[in-house]
Amino acid sequence: MARHPIRSPGGEDSFRRIVDACFRGEAGSSVPLPGDTADLIETGVLDSMAWVSFLRAVETASGTSDLGSDLNEQPASIASILAALRSSNKGSLPSGDKKRGVAGSVSSSAAFLSGSSSVQGSRVVPSEEVDRAFHMPVGKLRKRAGIESLAYAADGESELALGARAAEEALRAASCGAQELDWVIATSETHHDYPALAAQLHSRLLVREDCGALDVGGGCLGLLNALAVAQSLIGSGAARRVAVITADVHSRVLTPERVAGEFGGLFGDGASAFLVRREPGSPVGASYRLGDFLFGCAGQYAAAIQVAARIGGGLDVQFDGEALSRAAITRLEKVITAVETRSGISRASVGGFATHQPNPRLLTLLAKQCGVSPSAFPPICRTAGNLGSSMCGAALHAALQNAAKMKPAERKPIFLASLGPGLLFGGSWLTPA
Amino acid sequence: MTKLLITEITRMGPAFCVIGLQHDQQKFQSIRPVSATANSWLHFPHQRGEILECSLTPFCGAPPHVEDRISTHGFRKRSTVAENDVAGYLRKAECSDSLSGLFECRIYENKRGSGTHALPGEARRSICGCRTQNLRLELCGNELRATLVLSSGELLRDLPVVDRDWLDFMDAALADSRGANRAARFERFLNSQFHSKIMSCPHHFARIGLTRPYREVCWLMLDTLFPLPQTDWLEEF
Repeated sequence: MARHPIRSPGGEDSFRRIVDACFRGEAGSSVPLPGDTADLIETGVLDSMAWVSFLRAVETASGTSDLGSDLNEQPASIASILAALRSSNKGSLPSGDKKRGVAGSVSSSAAFLSGSSSVQGSRVVPSEEVDRAFHMPVGKLRKRAGIESLAYAADGESELALGARAAEEALRAASCGAQELDWVIATSETHHDYPALAAQLHSRLLVREDCGALDVGGGCLGLLNALAVAQSLIGSGAARRVAVITADVHSRVLTPERVAGEFGGLFGDGASAFLVRREPGSPVGASYRLGDFLFGCAGQYAAAIQVAARIGGGLDVQFDGEALSRAAITRLEKVITAVETRSGISRASVGGFATHQPNPRLLTLLAKQCGVSPSAFPPICRTAGNLGSSMCGAALHAALQNAAKMKPAERKPIFLASLGPGLLFGGSWLTPA
Repeated sequence: MTKLLITEITRMGPAFCVIGLQHDQQKFQSIRPVSATANSWLHFPHQRGEILECSLTPFCGAPPHVEDRISTHGFRKRSTVAENDVAGYLRKAECSDSLSGLFECRIYENKRGSGTHALPGEARRSICGCRTQNLRLELCGNELRATLVLSSGELLRDLPVVDRDWLDFMDAALADSRGANRAARFERFLNSQFHSKIMSCPHHFARIGLTRPYREVCWLMLDTLFPLPQTDWLEEF
């Protein structure tokens, strides 16, 4: 699942920590850690199912894609795993390594997030009104999903308008002029027009002509995809400053005429923007360093949410709310666990969780499942609804705002975790610079 | 006496699990003959495709292994059916195009690492056939694993392969006598020729099974993969 294996700042210690954590996750904390050379299958510590499961967990946590293959014809031991991880780390081969050239994780070159903003549609609609519009029993969205109101775009507010406003505010917060940008990366799950959103934002923001403009997809995972691309552009030396912008106006796509029932009523409108740059901004403590990204796709959930355009303008929506809820909680928790293992940062010491927020009820459930306080999740979806690709961005901006109220030395890391249809998933972390 | 067409023989540790098809009133139904004392056979001298005559009690096993029937006498071979015909009969038995249809229940992912499972109290059967859009085998830490996409587009990852013929083929491919870099050569075969051999085969078909309940869950596994491996494929890598 990885392109590059983890760069191990602590060397052997990082590998050991990852292997130990994954073993505990698989075998349980009460099982004593076996000796390094013990064959875990022959000694009965793990069965073959658990062995492969353990390897997959180590692959995800370390970002090493081919661990299972590297361990063929090797004993099923911790020593073998550590040796394979060491060997992968030595051969951190970027683009030319065909063996590891698969989707997965992106290692962290120094990239700093130094300005952020989030805006929402200015028309606030009580959820009861949305219930009625989508022909649902009045009170359903509030009672079942915990949504009190939805933020809808007013006349004159589009993906472009909301995205541009968020971008201008983020650039202002970072004291960065639009002409300093090298790339504009946009993501939206509702904008399907030509020119694409990034091109429209490029013009609207008055960036340099030789500033690149790129749209990335991924639905609600779009922000993480875009941040990972920005980090890579900076890491490769192709850019110094990148604006990452999300914008979604669901209220004009998922209308009651096109989508019946609960699905359409869950979504609101909004945008978010971030400035990613090579060096931390000033003052000290105002920036966050982006960590590694991990990505993947859990295709067993592909059928839980499918939307396709119908001839004549309608939408075919396949939405198994219950299955999707279960999948979302399971996957987000798994991503948070992987981010925790990879970063070495305990979830208990995290200041905020900027995650996808399908609805407030699921967010509470996720916090409970993760064993962390619900207050660590900025409650955006309660009053704005699910903002699509802008959801994680709105939550991240809120977490950064909360951190900004603290003294620099007291600021804590932030975890990112999100999902998209497919079921795409991704995660990362930010640490105060 | 019952006539059973043997459709799968799977490895369960040192023993074998056997499933056959019974043709009853225009319906093909999977039956798993078990002995009175165990769910598997330490010695099973028959092959897939053989029609065996046997004596089975009519009582179903406990869910989800409702296909279990206790065999009260030995098996007697009556005839043999060609591989493509076996696959054809399997298509007429329990089949599903979707994940939830496989065992008529929810399928859960392993929250820790890989693998998927069903809950014994929810699954309605323990074996089901499926058509696949794509399928890949992989050697992972010396274990053979399958990843496949169902017709519905849903994906099953890291299924343990328990099909006796495929595991025998893997053992033969990795035998000491085959020289150096055996695992790497086998992996190359799985990543290249294997795919076209499997996916272009007109009788390509797979059956997914559930393990016996273990720590309160039943894991999904690849019981059968058609076409079956051929010995001469070993000469290709």
